[in-house]
Amino acid sequence: MLDQLFDGALLDSVVRAAVPILLAAIGGLICERAGVFQISLEGTMLMGAFTAVSVSYVTGNAYLGLAAAMAAGMATSTLLAFGHVSRKGDPIVIGIAINLFAVGLTSFLLPQFFDVRGVFRDPAIVGLETFRVPGFVELPVIGEALFEMTLPAFLSFLLIPVVWVWLFRSPMGLRLRGVGENPSAAQTRGVPVAKYKYAAVFTSGSMAGLAGAQLALGNVVQFAENMSAGRGWIAVVAVLLGRAHPVGVLSAALLFGFAEGLGFRLQGNGMAVQFTDALPWVVTLIALVFARRRFIRLVDLTGSAA
Amino acid sequence: MDQSQTSRSTQSSSLERWLGAATSPAVSALVLSFLICAVIILLSGENPIRAYGELWSGATTGAGPRTVINRGIPIVAMALAISIPFRSGIINLGGEGQFVLGGFAAAVVAINLDAPGPLVIFVSFLVAAIVGAVWGLLPAVGQTWLRLPILISSLLLNTPARALASYLTKNYFADPAATSTSTEALPASTRIPTISWLSGASASALGVAVLVAAIYAFNRRTAPGYQSHISGINLKFSEYGGVGVSRQTILSMGSGGAIAGMAGAHMILGQSGRFVDYDLVGTGFAWTGLLVALLALHRAIPILAAGLFFAALQVGGLAMQRNTGVSWQLAQVLQAVVILALAMQIAPRLWRRRSSADVASHDTDEYGSATG
Repeated sequence: MLDQLFDGALLDSVVRAAVPILLAAIGGLICERAGVFQISLEGTMLMGAFTAVSVSYVTGNAYLGLAAAMAAGMATSTLLAFGHVSRKGDPIVIGIAINLFAVGLTSFLLPQFFDVRGVFRDPAIVGLETFRVPGFVELPVIGEALFEMTLPAFLSFLLIPVVWVWLFRSPMGLRLRGVGENPSAAQTRGVPVAKYKYAAVFTSGSMAGLAGAQLALGNVVQFAENMSAGRGWIAVVAVLLGRAHPVGVLSAALLFGFAEGLGFRLQGNGMAVQFTDALPWVVTLIALVFARRRFIRLVDLTGSAA
Repeated sequence: MDQSQTSRSTQSSSLERWLGAATSPAVSALVLSFLICAVIILLSGENPIRAYGELWSGATTGAGPRTVINRGIPIVAMALAISIPFRSGIINLGGEGQFVLGGFAAAVVAINLDAPGPLVIFVSFLVAAIVGAVWGLLPAVGQTWLRLPILISSLLLNTPARALASYLTKNYFADPAATSTSTEALPASTRIPTISWLSGASASALGVAVLVAAIYAFNRRTAPGYQSHISGINLKFSEYGGVGVSRQTILSMGSGGAIAGMAGAHMILGQSGRFVDYDLVGTGFAWTGLLVALLALHRAIPILAAGLFFAALQVGGLAMQRNTGVSWQLAQVLQAVVILALAMQIAPRLWRRRSSADVASHDTDEYGSATG
């Protein structure tokens, strides 16, 4: 039973499920390091997915869709950047409003643009092609899961060491962390705090847009209303669980990917669909309980937010 | 000394209060949102004046008022449910789970309890309140005992709640004749009656009115109501002042959950007449309620007004969709844009009664006059 469950195909669906979460969470961790509580990943991802599908449908080019999704994500995150950094609005309230705004706007535009409701599926939507890494893709079990992926998927894993080095070994990374940990000290040292926060929020917006593009042009080739289905929220939790550290966030994203992939597999083996729906959320809750000492700052943050 | 300075020291006149309300940040944010959505309608190739005209007549004519009240019942109730913890600074994103499980529990009781109609209705609401409260208490206990942030844990419990109700319905309470996963229809005696003098809307509207009055009185006239408001402004201060914050968290999440559960019960006994999997999630009432609570700054009377207003937007939106090319989700966009405009404080305040520094905290101004 177990060796039927854990094989290359399971690994493949784990990676598939983890990639959008990971992409969004990398942006989220940069925001967290800059001291901006970013909970609008869910809505930003949805805007990215919608834009990617629309542009790919119109132009017939998946990479234009990808670029447009990143731009749309960035545009969406302007709301948080301007509202929170410049206007001092509550990031939690703005984040919740962005998420609901995105659900509303994409469901509104879907029938306006394409004359369909619910799901938009069309042969004219060009999906992302997968690339094979020669020499590695032939490896048993892990080969096809890890070395045959879309461009954003490769990018998501490559970004982990890149962000790690940038954050902890570069002057800019040091300044970004300074902005998050002690903005007034950073300001005194001549770091433009607002500029760093803006840049961090824009980065997270474009990453969440990319995550949406991977979801709608990589994992599937279609747009469905509310298709991000909580993945942006799971990315928020991944940032918290991984202590905003690239390696921690990668582990958390893989854990959630594993829960989703396993659920998908168990469903194939006759497990009730309700159980597999709930599995990623329950795993997330259990992980939170085990890692709870890390959230004291957040409890203070949300406890006094109004 | 100019006019506004003198008036500040005396009691404000009714005209002044009216002007203050009409130009409050919430109202100017609303005006701005209508303008932004007009641009969105224009960009999608339709006529915004015609669309808004249809929206207005859809909400005010024919079956409009009745539908607005019926839709307003769960929206206002969910907003009240969220406002109770929200007032003490706790953001509960788990309204959806409490709403769904309350509805499911009420359906199970109403179908299986063999008793006179009114008694069944009473017990159904009671059980729904208990179930909703328990689901609301889980994240509260998580925060006070395990220090898990309610903001996150309450949200994470939504999908498991839906899955649980769906699983139980499918395996233990399913109607074999139904095509979708749903319970059997409720006996006619357990359905909530309608009121003819209220445009034929559900009698639950009276329950919501009582709830609004009770929460208003609690907030303004009782010590715990005042304490929760102080916690919302400054948690540390409130703790040093001797407020039991853990107890407050537990009580506010429990009572919020109970109201959300009863809102779910109303959806079954007052509207659909059976529990259908995903139906309560699909309404989005839990999230609309959250936006209403944010817009009304967690005050009971403004919640009633804002809740009915959002209900009217949705009802009018459906009429707009029928009669023009603009789909009803525009109402959802508008609701979110209002909150964004309000949170960012980008809508200009047209008429100032007080110095601009007070604009940001116009809620404290309301409470200050009540408690001072």
